[in-house]
Amino acid sequence: MTLLEFENLRVSLGDRPILRNVTLSVAAGEAVGLVGESGSGKSMTVRSVVRLLPEGAAVTGAVRFEGADIASLGAAGLRRMRSRDVAMVFQDPRAVVNPVRTVGDFLTEVLRDQGVNRADALRKAAGSLSEVGVDDASRRLAQRPYELSGGLLQRVVIAAALLTEPKLILADEPTTALDVTTQEEVVAILDEQRRRRSVALMFITHDLELAAAVCDRIAVMYAGEIVEILPADRLHTEARHPYTRALLGSRPGTVPPGQRLRTVPGVPQSALTAPPGCVFADRCPHAEDRCRDTRPAFRGSAACHLLEEVR
Amino acid sequence: MLEVRDLRKEFKGVVAVDGVSFRVAAGGSLAVVGESGSGKTTCARIVTGLTKATSGTVVLNGSVQMVFQDPYQSLDRRQTVRGCLAEVLAHHRKDRSRIGELLDLVGLDRALGEALPRHLSGGQRQRVAIARALAAEPRLLVLDEAVAALDVSIQAQILNLLVDARAATGVAYLFITHDLSVVRHVCEDVVVMSRGRVVEAGPVERVLHRPDHEYTRRLVASVPRPGWVPSRAVSRG
Repeated sequence: MTLLEFENLRVSLGDRPILRNVTLSVAAGEAVGLVGESGSGKSMTVRSVVRLLPEGAAVTGAVRFEGADIASLGAAGLRRMRSRDVAMVFQDPRAVVNPVRTVGDFLTEVLRDQGVNRADALRKAAGSLSEVGVDDASRRLAQRPYELSGGLLQRVVIAAALLTEPKLILADEPTTALDVTTQEEVVAILDEQRRRRSVALMFITHDLELAAAVCDRIAVMYAGEIVEILPADRLHTEARHPYTRALLGSRPGTVPPGQRLRTVPGVPQSALTAPPGCVFADRCPHAEDRCRDTRPAFRGSAACHLLEEVR
Repeated sequence: MLEVRDLRKEFKGVVAVDGVSFRVAAGGSLAVVGESGSGKTTCARIVTGLTKATSGTVVLNGSVQMVFQDPYQSLDRRQTVRGCLAEVLAHHRKDRSRIGELLDLVGLDRALGEALPRHLSGGQRQRVAIARALAAEPRLLVLDEAVAALDVSIQAQILNLLVDARAATGVAYLFITHDLSVVRHVCEDVVVMSRGRVVEAGPVERVLHRPDHEYTRRLVASVPRPGWVPSRAVSRG
């Protein structure tokens, strides 16, 4: 069953395009990774789900949640969706949690707003903390954010995200600021809780391997478009788009130490600077004239004119 | 060419670096890896003289330059690329005509010489920072998370550049990083730090493939890779 659907979504600011054309669906309980470099539109795609777009952004196409167009939601509907059905986890937990309130205040705020009494809200909050592996919950509830490490605080944010029993979690680089051993714990917890509760997940990261480990499918974005969508477990064997292959090939570790990494020339582009045809044509080693002029349609997993030629 | 012996650094009674020793051979490449708070950056700052050690010795045979993580903060935003390089060359009494050569070495279009930092991408700025560091013809380059903030495709370009620059100039590298795949790619030896101490040291090949220390094992195991399944069993509270 489809939970979330992007259909020909375009977002622009003035005459500056940000998303050129995003079509993607997320099933209930499914985890989809959005992978790409800076400026590719990953965050904008995810933010469009809860209408957290920049002031003055023009949107065409549709984002549908449980079949309803997000654009048609009134203030109350939007509020309900943001506080109950969809939870967000961002890169920096310190920017999310009120620094002068306790962890307990942060965790119970939405429940209290929904009319749950204080004692019950605190009990639920403590339960949620222990599920994300935070011990000694009663002490933690009384602490303030500065008393917690980044990894611990991110687990508090995940606990808060789970508390309202959402249907979808939007996670935007949730572990990028964390050390790699802490990252492992945090994504393990996110993955475990998501599976246990059958919550759908959109997971934004620049790390292909991380996305492949916690997602069912991977969508690769470049310059405001999705260029390839494929099952996570076939990322290494079946990636066909030249950009996906370039990303996979440019990680150190793909060639013996000291040898040259395979690089793509130039710098990552945005929807504004990318050519009108295939967004990757300027940097693609295989590009032909038609690539620059004509936008490739999706064939199988990838949007590329040259799937037969480039093997 | 660099020998660090028994380094110790306290900040207001808190020990940040404790009994750290390592050496870098001329033209060699050593990585210091560890997580935040391990003391690796403090070691880098002591080597370059930005921080004074509480005790211990640093013997450096030749000059040293440093490249930081965020090139935007380390470049003067009102100075053109050419101006930036000219200033360093003049200071070290080197020939200004080397500017073009330096731009070629780091793979920057010579036309970008007149650009200001704000006109450059993150990767281009990091190339300028590396060119500026190399302008002084140092024997040792200390790179503190110098590729951490870059996009993957740009990171690959900069890593290639660093491999080439070392081959061309014979400069030695002291790489401060948390990224083990970067270590595997550009370093011969590695020092693993945790909570201010060295827990393991040796050739990259041995340390990362057959780690002796429990902490190194966990560090290696927590890097996402094909077939990796994250585990929460590693909790340390």
